[in-house]
Amino acid sequence: MSLALVLTIARREFLARVRSKAFIVMTVLVPSFLGLYMLAVPMLAGSRNNDLRVAILDAGTGLGASLAERLRAIERPHIAITQTSATEAVDPTARDRLNGAIRDRTLDGYLMLERAESAPVRVRYFARQSGNPALLRELRLAVQSAVIGRLLEGTGVDSARVRSAQELDLGAVTVSDQGEREGGFGVAFASTMALAMLLYIAVLINGQGMATAIVEEKSSRLIEVILGAVTATEFMTGKILGVLGSGLTQLAIWILVAVVALLQAAPALAIGTTMSGIDLSTILSARLIFYFAVFFSLGYLLYSILFSVVAVTCTSTEELGQAMMAAVLPMVVSLMAAISVISNPATTTTRVLSLIPVFTPLVMLARVNLLMPPLWEVWLGIALLVGASITAGWAAGKIFQYALLMTGKRPTLPELIRVVKA
Amino acid sequence: MPTPALLCRQLIKTFDGTRALDGLDLTVDAGTIFGLLGPNGSGKTTTIRTSLGIYKPDGGSVEVLGSGDPLAVRRRTGYLPEERGLYARMKLQEQLAFLASIRGLSSAESERRSAAWLDRVGLAARAQSLTRELSKGNQQKVQFAAAVIHDPDLVVLDEPFSGLDPINSRLVKELILEQRAKGTTVVLSTHRMEEVEAMCESICLIHHGRAVLSGRLRDIKAKYGRNTIVVEHSGGPGCLNQVPGVQTCDDGGREARLRLEPDVDPQRVMRAVLDRVEVSSMRLDEPRIEDIYLETISASERSQ
Repeated sequence: MSLALVLTIARREFLARVRSKAFIVMTVLVPSFLGLYMLAVPMLAGSRNNDLRVAILDAGTGLGASLAERLRAIERPHIAITQTSATEAVDPTARDRLNGAIRDRTLDGYLMLERAESAPVRVRYFARQSGNPALLRELRLAVQSAVIGRLLEGTGVDSARVRSAQELDLGAVTVSDQGEREGGFGVAFASTMALAMLLYIAVLINGQGMATAIVEEKSSRLIEVILGAVTATEFMTGKILGVLGSGLTQLAIWILVAVVALLQAAPALAIGTTMSGIDLSTILSARLIFYFAVFFSLGYLLYSILFSVVAVTCTSTEELGQAMMAAVLPMVVSLMAAISVISNPATTTTRVLSLIPVFTPLVMLARVNLLMPPLWEVWLGIALLVGASITAGWAAGKIFQYALLMTGKRPTLPELIRVVKA
Repeated sequence: MPTPALLCRQLIKTFDGTRALDGLDLTVDAGTIFGLLGPNGSGKTTTIRTSLGIYKPDGGSVEVLGSGDPLAVRRRTGYLPEERGLYARMKLQEQLAFLASIRGLSSAESERRSAAWLDRVGLAARAQSLTRELSKGNQQKVQFAAAVIHDPDLVVLDEPFSGLDPINSRLVKELILEQRAKGTTVVLSTHRMEEVEAMCESICLIHHGRAVLSGRLRDIKAKYGRNTIVVEHSGGPGCLNQVPGVQTCDDGGREARLRLEPDVDPQRVMRAVLDRVEVSSMRLDEPRIEDIYLETISASERSQ
């Protein structure tokens, strides 16, 4: 095999990939969306919810005044109580008036308290935007505090202390051989999903691009021109190296942008969001970046080989669309497995899955991120992944030799098995 | 004796139990234009692919430019396949430079030669155009350039004239003759017998994966002798169908070629022709390669 020819093919494939619209759009869009999200969250938290105008409609519970007092005590968002009305039953006219005020944007929302049989009070929040979980949490705490305050009246128990007890949070800390790490399910889920999705998207876009190019080269008959100069194995190796290069370039850009964005946005991010108090350095450690780069490269390589084999057996882009399902399926399964690993990082199933090469990149990476497995398991996974890539590359070379010049008819699976065995 | 540019001995290639090549023997002398002929599906493309190392033979041997391994000399060979394409969304000069670089030329040399070749085929002004913006004929000229851009010692051209208008056909013909003049061996696989007649020094006619006729064109024709009467007439099509002593009659309505039966006196046939139609000219000629082709394939079919 001529290394110079392989590199020539790889260079063309690399340039074709990085110049493609899909590559440029994805490389720019992914960090842009992440960056916008990071900027938007604190901005939204800091502006829109800072000053809310809320009314209280108390229909016979007698909690209106104490609730108003507690709502005014909330620091973020600051809540201005525009009015507190107390009636014996729900007054439809009063509700119509308040709904009208919401529609006219002179009021952000109102809380309606009603008597209930099975609970101390029935409370509902009416607003134009009623989906902010942080605000709902604050409102719920305020109502709970008002109700508990009344229940404790005359008992001598300080309701303020009860309220502070209610606000206690459970801090989850992951303990592993490497030490402790702040953050529970939410952080683990978010970081694992982010890493998995980066790999998934990069492989899918660049791999799909390469697969389409191979089919185009076959269907346009360009392939025979190329095969007059390079062998099928050189062609395949060059293609895969080219697409691997484009994937690593994309990864490098993303990591660079992510690190810069995290450093820039970290202080803002820590204000007004549920991530308050989390040290970002514990999420993005050097160890994790190292293993991510390893699993990204090897996973990318293995899946690129699989994609190229699928592509070379197709004779048209229509056929490729259907056949790609077979190559994408292991990725989807491993993505689902990686999600299940988040809640059960040390089960036997997880350990076995993480050692099966098509699942290793995502599942082992999830394990490394969540609960560092024994080092020998990680490196066994890497070794198996390398071995599988070499074997797949060897088999793919034979399949390329056989199928690259086939037109009109797709090779069957038994044919391909026979070719690999030969 | 000089080393042949291409030598196939008892070449066998099988696909799914069917022998595409069935003990093919072929010798292409260096520095000549060689015609590789045969009906569709006779094994020409398989012969070419096996000779260039794209396929591995199941039996027999191939020697290209003195090497038993075609891949070892691939920088010295060029190939224009019959089924050919280009990257549709790639600029012309970039594309040609890429195809030159996979033939082992340096990046700078690839750039220089691709510019020169685009100029030679009249496409210098389109160097920065995307391939898909070019006509089929212009794309074919680029493909031809890609096959010879690295100055190969042996170039295989499979149907280089297909789809070309007369002007571009003439250009490609000139380019082939230029290659020949430089000492390049040209293997020409084509169904256009007039081009074979005009350009090839030797031929090999393949049928069912075997060589059924091969040698120098002049020798082959000499073996058949001057056994064809060419008649220009005004009798219309079919008027010379039943002339005694004629084996086959290829009559286009204005010119007819009468192939004589063995040992028939041509003068007697000429007189019979004059009795039937008004003749403006008549001569005794060698058979055309097309006639030899048809006769040989018919004989091969009968012997199967």
